[in-house]
Amino acid sequence: MSGRLPARPGEAIDRGRPLTIDFEGRRAPAFEGDTVGSALAAAGVTITGRSFKYHRPRGLMCMTGACPNCLMQIDGIPNVRSCTEPVREGMRVERQNAWPSVDRDVHGVLDSFSFMMPPGFYYKVFQRPRWAWSKVEPIIRKQAGLGKVPRTEDHEPREVVNLHADVAVIGGGLAGLAAAAEAAAAGASTVLLEQRREAGGRALGSADDVDRARLVAEAEASGARILLGTAAFGVFDGPVVAAVGGGGLQRIRARHLVFATGAVEQPAVFPNNDLPGVMLSSAVELLVNRFRVLPGRRAVVLTSNQDGYRAARTLRDAGADVFVVDLRAGAGSADGLRVIPGSTILSAKGRRGVTAVSVGAPGSATGQSIPCDLVVLAGFSAPSTNLLAMTGAKLGFDDDAQAFLPVELPPDVHAVGAVAGARTVQGAIAQGRLAGLEAAAAVGQEPPGAAGRMEVLRAQAAERGDPVVLPPEVATGEGKQFACLCMDVTSKELKAAAAEGFDSMELLKRYTTVSMGPCQGKACMLSAQRLCARAAGSSFAETRPTTARPPWTPVELGALAGWRRTPRKETTIHDLHADSGATFMWAGDWRRPHHFATPEQEVEAVRHRVGVIDVSTLGKFRVKGPEAVELLERLYPNRFGDLAVGRVRYGAMLNDEGVILDDGAVCRVGDDEFFVTVTTGNTAALERWITWWLADWRLDVRVLNVTGAFAALNLAGPDSRKVMSVLTDADVSSEAVKYMSASSFEVAGVPSLVLRIGFVGELGYEIHFPSMYGEHVWRAVMEAGRPFGIVPFGLEAQRVLRLEKQHILVGQDTDAESDPFEVGLGWMVKADKPDFLGRRALEDLAEAGPKERLVGFTCDPSWLPPEGASVVHEGVWVGRVTSARRSAAARSVVGLAWVPAGWAEDDTEIEIQFGGAHAKAKVALKPFYDPEGARLRS
Amino acid sequence: MGLKIPCPNCGPRDHTEFWFGGELRPIEAPDAREDFRRVYLRDNAPGPQRERWYHLYGCRRWLTISRDTTTNRIGD
Repeated sequence: MSGRLPARPGEAIDRGRPLTIDFEGRRAPAFEGDTVGSALAAAGVTITGRSFKYHRPRGLMCMTGACPNCLMQIDGIPNVRSCTEPVREGMRVERQNAWPSVDRDVHGVLDSFSFMMPPGFYYKVFQRPRWAWSKVEPIIRKQAGLGKVPRTEDHEPREVVNLHADVAVIGGGLAGLAAAAEAAAAGASTVLLEQRREAGGRALGSADDVDRARLVAEAEASGARILLGTAAFGVFDGPVVAAVGGGGLQRIRARHLVFATGAVEQPAVFPNNDLPGVMLSSAVELLVNRFRVLPGRRAVVLTSNQDGYRAARTLRDAGADVFVVDLRAGAGSADGLRVIPGSTILSAKGRRGVTAVSVGAPGSATGQSIPCDLVVLAGFSAPSTNLLAMTGAKLGFDDDAQAFLPVELPPDVHAVGAVAGARTVQGAIAQGRLAGLEAAAAVGQEPPGAAGRMEVLRAQAAERGDPVVLPPEVATGEGKQFACLCMDVTSKELKAAAAEGFDSMELLKRYTTVSMGPCQGKACMLSAQRLCARAAGSSFAETRPTTARPPWTPVELGALAGWRRTPRKETTIHDLHADSGATFMWAGDWRRPHHFATPEQEVEAVRHRVGVIDVSTLGKFRVKGPEAVELLERLYPNRFGDLAVGRVRYGAMLNDEGVILDDGAVCRVGDDEFFVTVTTGNTAALERWITWWLADWRLDVRVLNVTGAFAALNLAGPDSRKVMSVLTDADVSSEAVKYMSASSFEVAGVPSLVLRIGFVGELGYEIHFPSMYGEHVWRAVMEAGRPFGIVPFGLEAQRVLRLEKQHILVGQDTDAESDPFEVGLGWMVKADKPDFLGRRALEDLAEAGPKERLVGFTCDPSWLPPEGASVVHEGVWVGRVTSARRSAAARSVVGLAWVPAGWAEDDTEIEIQFGGAHAKAKVALKPFYDPEGARLRS
Repeated sequence: MGLKIPCPNCGPRDHTEFWFGGELRPIEAPDAREDFRRVYLRDNAPGPQRERWYHLYGCRRWLTISRDTTTNRIGD
């Protein structure tokens, strides 16, 4: 079977625009407007894939993206539904899950060994001996499965789009189009989501395109925003509808949601019902009417309603020989179709495609054999209630529809069309119009005369159509009868599982994996539920559909990941650092210079001459108000009431477990005003922390995060005073600007707050000034320092310098359990203060005494222990290294480590180990450099 | 995913702008035993809950709401 039928009006393909796709190395012709599936069908490809478990041949079945049969690897992307994927020139298409090829898959022999693979076989087989599973699992994993995950391709980043509307309509079939057209025409802002590239839903395959064309035109003219190729896959709290399409993830928030999600046509269950050539009527109609491909010359149509007759006429008119098998006893055809009434398909025959069916009364063992190359299952369907159920809508069984339909909807949620049980085109359209009008009216956009129209529509919307007649749940003949095509679950396996006690849908699903494949139950829910009921001895009405969870349609993980955006902060001096050739590193969200020259040269300059580092990233808070002292006294264990104006005190904030949150400088700059610095990476968390408490304490004080407003430089080294005196007219003598003072004066003509503190252990000035002057002040400092050999230094040098002084880094040397006593900051805890955060916890901790201590250590410089290396004693882990660097000043490796409290004495010998390496080390409680702090104070 | 939080400063905003601050808890306790409860234990009960949210990508202020943890309905 190949080639195209003659052109007809309304076909989807553009015969004037041919193109070629690469199908497994062969060139396959196609037309613009084709899908991969329709192009391959036209090229005569009948086997579109191999099944998940038994490697049985499978062919096109639904043409709507609802079943797993046509998943292919397309341009490297696995599991693309080829039946709905539009063709593009030169696209690479390969079938999946077969070796050496899909047409000749040697694993097809698995089909004969299915008796070895009962439901849950992986729980039962290879359990003993225990080692067997580890050998067998990789083989099974390779046999079972879908496409290949691309190892190299990095997908394009996807946008995340937020949409807001009065009304969102989900599903662009006739009912959805009608709803959107009415709501938008009434003046409500309206969004319509349709997963396919064309609106029209089930009517797309119809030979007569009148209703569809009229409604599409009406919806387009109404001003509704129509998003084609956009599949809603979940409804979340809010409600928010999540959809994929338009190059990314769409999040739609609307006041009213209209669900027009339609129904999915379902197969019937009989032996070999999975053969290529067994199709749903949706596929037949789309292939013939839209893509002009005739999928078979001798067709048998199984049906019980008008859908089957429509498909049969379509095939007959295209030149096929057609039999209609009608389940209804009195069925007949008015226009000359050959009808076999009161019958069903008992079985199908064939190896690589269907060659004959046996037809007879339901339940009979034998029937008449009809040769055929196409079997059409028409008019059995399951309403797509999944998305609706995610809103909290209640479902109930409807006898006439033989389906679960919404019986109770949350406020502002509407259901129209096939999902709401409509079985006639006019009923579905009326329901859509009515919901559109109702939603528009509810958001204050009721058009004149709406009440009268709504009354008429209500009457039309009540039209339901004939009761549904379903085929038997299962047939009696030989051969596998598939309930679930994705996971290769047969009726026999469901029966066996039910006999083992897994007799409800939720249990069956988990045990047999029925409905858990790529289609997520779309193409099997009807069969699975009815077979479950049969096996459990109950009725269809008594079973429950499984819980609806997102995603309802397959979603690429890339769409959920969105755009990879890394926030990045730069100081106002960043460009100058880049110009100087700095090597940058991440420090939280900040980009900071790691080094300019080499860290060793930078350390040497700071220790012997002068250096400058950009510390603009420091968190900075301005704390001002009559109760500023009170706030700080509560936030810190330190005392601040006695801190004189113009003085700085080192403080650490604790949480109410007594754990150190952060440390930094607290400067009193006025009677009721403080300037507080905190660690770079902690700034946002501390702002939350401080304002959290302020919200309860309601103190008369304002806390303002001024991190971005002020740039800061740390000018440090024995010559730093000489550089300062060039930069300012102010007196910077050791008497005028004392150690631990905060003074305001101009630096390079810029009003600055100068703190005489020294993280790096040398005479130094931390200069804070408006950040807009960053480059100016940096240039002025470099200029003033040139005669003294100033160098800019980076974070690595600062880390060495601070480690030589045993200054801790909160978060690096401390963790979520470190209290001030353990790290040697017990001196700052003023137990006689009335109350402060962590006080109660500290009382207990002080009583018990620390179990571990953070101590300095030195070891031989031949090996640098990495951060996280173990401290061991007689082969037992007793602590860990948090920081270690080579120190020129100490002529050894210096570091900080956690050790048992009893070892916190100078010269205690400890052993450090990492991987195979180890070294002896000695505890050193005093700083390795200038232990008395004379240089700091100079 | 679609939770909207009424910020007294900024109006109703999507929850992704906020930082969840957890159940509202007392800020002090009369004795050590109660303080242990205050610091370490949470009710985590279904139903309406008083809780704090921080408007991180907005006014950077804390607010307190009552939210039903089973329905996400916000109100008193």
